[in-house]
Amino acid sequence: MKIHINGVQKTYSTLRKKTEVLKNINITVEDREFFVLLGPSGCGKSTLLNIIAGLEPVTGGELRFGDRLVASVNKKDFVQPKDRNVAMVFQNYALYPHLTVFENIAFPLRIARAGAEEIKKCVEKSAEILKISKHLQSKPAELSGGERQRVAIARAIVRRPDVLLFDEPLSNLDAQLRTATRVELKKLQRELGITTVYVTHDQVEAMTLGDRVAVLKDGLVQQLDTAIGLYERPANRFVAQFIGFPQINLFETEVKNGTFSLCGADFPAPAQAPSGPVWAGIRPSDLELKDGGALNGRVDTMELLGRDAVLYVSCGQLEFAILSERKDLREGDAVKFSLKPGKAHCFPR
Amino acid sequence: MKEETLSSILTFVAACFMAGFSLAPFLYMFATSFNASPDYLTGGFNFTLANYNDVLGVKSLHFLDYLRNSLVVSFVSSVATVLLASLAAYAITRLEMKGKAAILLFVLAVSMFPQVSLIGYLFRVMTELDLINTYTALVLPYIAWILPLALWILVSYFAQIPKELDRAAVIDGCTKWQVLFKVLLPVSLPGIFSTALLSFIFAFNEFLFALMLTTDYQSRTIPVGIALFQGLHGETPWGQIMAASTLTTLPILLFTLLFQRHIVQGLTRGAVKG
Repeated sequence: MKIHINGVQKTYSTLRKKTEVLKNINITVEDREFFVLLGPSGCGKSTLLNIIAGLEPVTGGELRFGDRLVASVNKKDFVQPKDRNVAMVFQNYALYPHLTVFENIAFPLRIARAGAEEIKKCVEKSAEILKISKHLQSKPAELSGGERQRVAIARAIVRRPDVLLFDEPLSNLDAQLRTATRVELKKLQRELGITTVYVTHDQVEAMTLGDRVAVLKDGLVQQLDTAIGLYERPANRFVAQFIGFPQINLFETEVKNGTFSLCGADFPAPAQAPSGPVWAGIRPSDLELKDGGALNGRVDTMELLGRDAVLYVSCGQLEFAILSERKDLREGDAVKFSLKPGKAHCFPR
Repeated sequence: MKEETLSSILTFVAACFMAGFSLAPFLYMFATSFNASPDYLTGGFNFTLANYNDVLGVKSLHFLDYLRNSLVVSFVSSVATVLLASLAAYAITRLEMKGKAAILLFVLAVSMFPQVSLIGYLFRVMTELDLINTYTALVLPYIAWILPLALWILVSYFAQIPKELDRAAVIDGCTKWQVLFKVLLPVSLPGIFSTALLSFIFAFNEFLFALMLTTDYQSRTIPVGIALFQGLHGETPWGQIMAASTLTTLPILLFTLLFQRHIVQGLTRGAVKG
C-alpha cells in the first residue's frame, strides 16, 4: 500500500493560542517500504503517525492510501481507523490487561466478527511467527517487557493490515533486548512485506531499520533520504548534528574563494558550499591522526568505545572530537591530525 | 533489633486499640441481641434466642419486609448509579468537550447540599408525582445523592488507564461504545466493584429520605424500620432492635467479604499495568 502525504498540516487551537505541530508535510511512502520518521521529542512525528492511523484528523492537506482519499480538510472525507486497515504498535504495548495473550491477539478479529476457526488459525500463526506460542494462555502482567512487545506486534499483524505503524516500540526495552528485537523486526517486515511507518527518536534505530528516513523538526521535514544519504550528505546543520555518533564537529568559519580555514590551516570547501559565513561540519571519523597533519593539538580527554576511542583534542580555541583506533594516547599528549579529503560539510550560518 | 521489637509491639497495641474502638459498639450490639434482659439497670446476662425469634417470626414487626425493601432499593440504586457514573466518567476522561472541570466541580457542589435542606421539596415533589411510599421515591433521590461520589471515584480510576489502550482498541476496530464496554469497563472492574459496593452501602444505610418518603412496610427500608420498632406499651425493645441490627449487617458483611479482593485492589492499586 502506497501512502501519499500531500501538504499535511496539523494545528491545535485553544482559546489562548494556536500551535502548529505539522507545517506542510509532503512524503510518499512506497509500497512494502520500511519508512522511518525520526526526530527529537515535540517534532510532530507521533502526530503524523496518528494522522496516518486515523486517530487524528488533519487541518490541512490530504492523505491517500493508494488512490483512496482517507483524510483531508473536508470532514466527510475522513475514513475511520477501522476502515483503513492499519495496525499500530505502541511504546507501552497497550495490551488489554484483562485478556489472555490469545484473546489480546484475537481482539481485532473478534471485533471484525471473524469465525472461531479462523480466529484460532490466525492467532496461532501470528503467535508462532513472534515465538510466543507457549504464552497464549498467560495474562500480559505475567510476561516480560520483551514478550509483551511481541504480543503487541502479533496483535498488529494478525489481520494482515495494509499498513503497519510503530510508535517508538522499542523505547521501553533494555539495551540488549532492543538490539535483538530491532534485527527481528527488520526481518519480519521483509517477510511480511507490509508497508511500515516507524516513529523513533533514536538515530541508530532509524539508520538500521529504515529503507528511507524522514528527519522531522518543528513540524517540517528537514531531509528525506536513505540512512547512508543522511549520514554522508546532511541537508542542514540540524540533520548533521542529529545523525551520527560521536556527534559531528561544528565550527564557525567563513568560505572564501572555495576554501575555509580552521586553526590557521586552509581546507577546500565542498563544491556546492555557499560563500560567506558558514558552519563547517566534520565527522569525527573523517579526521585522522597523522604525522605531518595540518592541525596541531593536545589531547584533553579520551573515551574508550571498545574497538575505537573518541579523542577530544583542543587546537587553539577549538575542540575536535576524533574517532581513532589509537588507545595509547594520554591526556596532554601532542598530536597532529588532518581532514580526509572531500569530507567536510558547510552549512550557511 | 530491640527498637524493632518495641515498635512492632506498639503497632500491635495501637492496632488492637483501634480495632477495639471500632468494634466495641458491634460487640455490644451482638451481645445485647442474645440477652434476655437487655437493660442497663437490671444488668446480668441471660442467653436467649427469643429476640431473633421475634424479629424473624413476628409478622407485625415487618423485619423481613424492611430487609427486602432495603435490598431492592439499594441494589437498583447502586447498579443505576454505577451505570450512569461510568458513562459520565468515560465522557469526562475520554471525549473531547469543553468545560469538563466545570462539570466535575458542579457535580461536587451539588452534593454539598445538606440532605435536610432538600427533604421538604423532595417530599412535595414525590407527593405531586404520587410516588410517596414507593421504591421509585427512594431510588431516584439515592441515585442523585450517590452519583457525585461514584463519578469522582470512577473519573480518577478511568484517568489512570493509559489512553493508548483506547487508541489501540480504536485501531483494532472498536467504536466508542465498544471501547467503553470491551476495554475500559473490564479493565476498571475492581474500581467499579468498589464503587458499586460503596453506593450500595450508602443507600442501605440512608435514613432521612427513607424516613420522610415512605409510610409503611411496603417500601420502608431497614434503618427506618428498626428505629421505629416499638414495644407493646411504647417501650423501646432493645433486644429486638439489636437482633435486627445484627441481621442487617450480615448482607453488607457478606458482600464485603465476597468482593474483598476487588475492593482492596480498587482502593489501593489504581494503576493498570499494560
